[in-house]
Amino acid sequence: MDVLITDDSGFMRDLLREILEEDHNIVGEAENGVEAVELYREEQPDIVFMDIVMPIKDGIEATGEITDMDPGAKVVMCTSVEQAEQMKDSIKAGAEGYITKPFQKESVLEELNSIAAE
Amino acid sequence: MEIDIRELETYQELAHDGARSAAESLSQLTGISTRVQVTDVSLMSSSDLEYEFIGDEFAGVNIDLTGEIEGEVVLAFDEQGRSAITDKLVPADDPEKKKSSIKEVGNIMTSGFVDGWANYLSAKIKSSPPTYIQGTGTDILPTSTTDEDRHLFVFRSRVEASQEAESEPIDFRILLVPDSKSLERSLEPKTDKIVSLEKLEVFNDMTKEGAEKAAANITSMTGIETTVNISRLSLIPIEDIPTEVGSKRFVGTVMQFRGKFSGYLVILFDQPSGRAVVDSLVPMETEEQWGDIEQGALKELGNIMTSGFIDGWANVLNAEIKHSPPEFVADTGSGILTPVTTKIAETDDHAFVLDSSIQTNSDKVFTCQMLALPRRDELEQALDDLLVENSANTRIDPDDLF
Repeated sequence: MDVLITDDSGFMRDLLREILEEDHNIVGEAENGVEAVELYREEQPDIVFMDIVMPIKDGIEATGEITDMDPGAKVVMCTSVEQAEQMKDSIKAGAEGYITKPFQKESVLEELNSIAAE
Repeated sequence: MEIDIRELETYQELAHDGARSAAESLSQLTGISTRVQVTDVSLMSSSDLEYEFIGDEFAGVNIDLTGEIEGEVVLAFDEQGRSAITDKLVPADDPEKKKSSIKEVGNIMTSGFVDGWANYLSAKIKSSPPTYIQGTGTDILPTSTTDEDRHLFVFRSRVEASQEAESEPIDFRILLVPDSKSLERSLEPKTDKIVSLEKLEVFNDMTKEGAEKAAANITSMTGIETTVNISRLSLIPIEDIPTEVGSKRFVGTVMQFRGKFSGYLVILFDQPSGRAVVDSLVPMETEEQWGDIEQGALKELGNIMTSGFIDGWANVLNAEIKHSPPEFVADTGSGILTPVTTKIAETDDHAFVLDSSIQTNSDKVFTCQMLALPRRDELEQALDDLLVENSANTRIDPDDLF
């Protein structure tokens, strides 16, 4: 699958890349919501891993713009935020999955496979 | 029970004046120069209070108060302070007289601490004869606090003292633990700035739970076993906050949060602990001590710890509290806190500080302090809206919603 990673932390992007690149194709890495929307438009990935707390544009807003642009877009929030209201906002924005940091490799792959199977 | 926050601020100021008076008494008796570093009023559990006196050996006095304010005062010197005072007052090698000198100094100082309260209340507060106390942890604690684990209002003062010839400062602490009835009487609402004590206690518990989640996140990311050893909610003059954190050097992160209430969250690792965390996160040799890679790792850890800390508040309040991306900081504690407190001081003179301390289970190398500084009026409003029956809802499983 073609995957777009979005996280303002280089440390976290590296960690996700390590987990995913064995079986998947990383088409890009975005450091904020604006870059994520641009990269999505250019690369049309199968799935986006999206952080929430980021500078310039946060992940919920970026998810909304991506799903407005492509209603079939598959976005998994990958964040340390565990607030019910922000989870609901993520759903409203069109996210299909939610992984909380710190995460285990298995939970990332499980979430990816479950969304891919839909 | 409802308490008046403005009255609590007045009592904090009285405690500060009392500590200054106690410090002046010490100077007059011994010639040792003194400076009150910080006085706060904290809501904390009795088990957390024990950590005030863990590690070092203390000596001092315990005095019972009766009258308008009932409760206990403990005044304790660290070992260096004890020997500085006794060497000055009883040069001969006479242990009993040295003990007696500490009792008398403690007695005089405690009077200085308590008398201002009595004058403010236009009432009598009588002190019992002092009981000499010596030891560490629970040996020093006010006896009323060790019966059961409960929330206590504690007035804490820390005073630094130094002899001209001494290079190392000595310190002593004064704790006043009023009993709940006299506290209720004293803090009877006189203004409209009222907060329910029950809600403050719930909020304090939620904060401890948040700190435990943050500590678990450290363990999960680094493999370093951690535990929360202190969690307390203090009301403190904003100008004293940098001093409270001190001149030790730290690395860490500063985040702003906003939503139901706004403020700052500061995460501080002492330098060796910061290094240990980074080494666990980025297991490779790098050229710089705090280069981009190290900063990035600490920022991400700060980000994850912050969510662990504040998400429980948001969930219980049925609201959003968003935080900014973390900013890396490396400086003395007061250097890190001063820009934050300068911002808060634009609107507030006192702040509630939520202070949690995380340590390793295995040794004492690792320490991390988390300080949350919410805007006071916004927190008061949020507490007003808090439903105590929701207090168990701190954690949400995403699978329940997705």
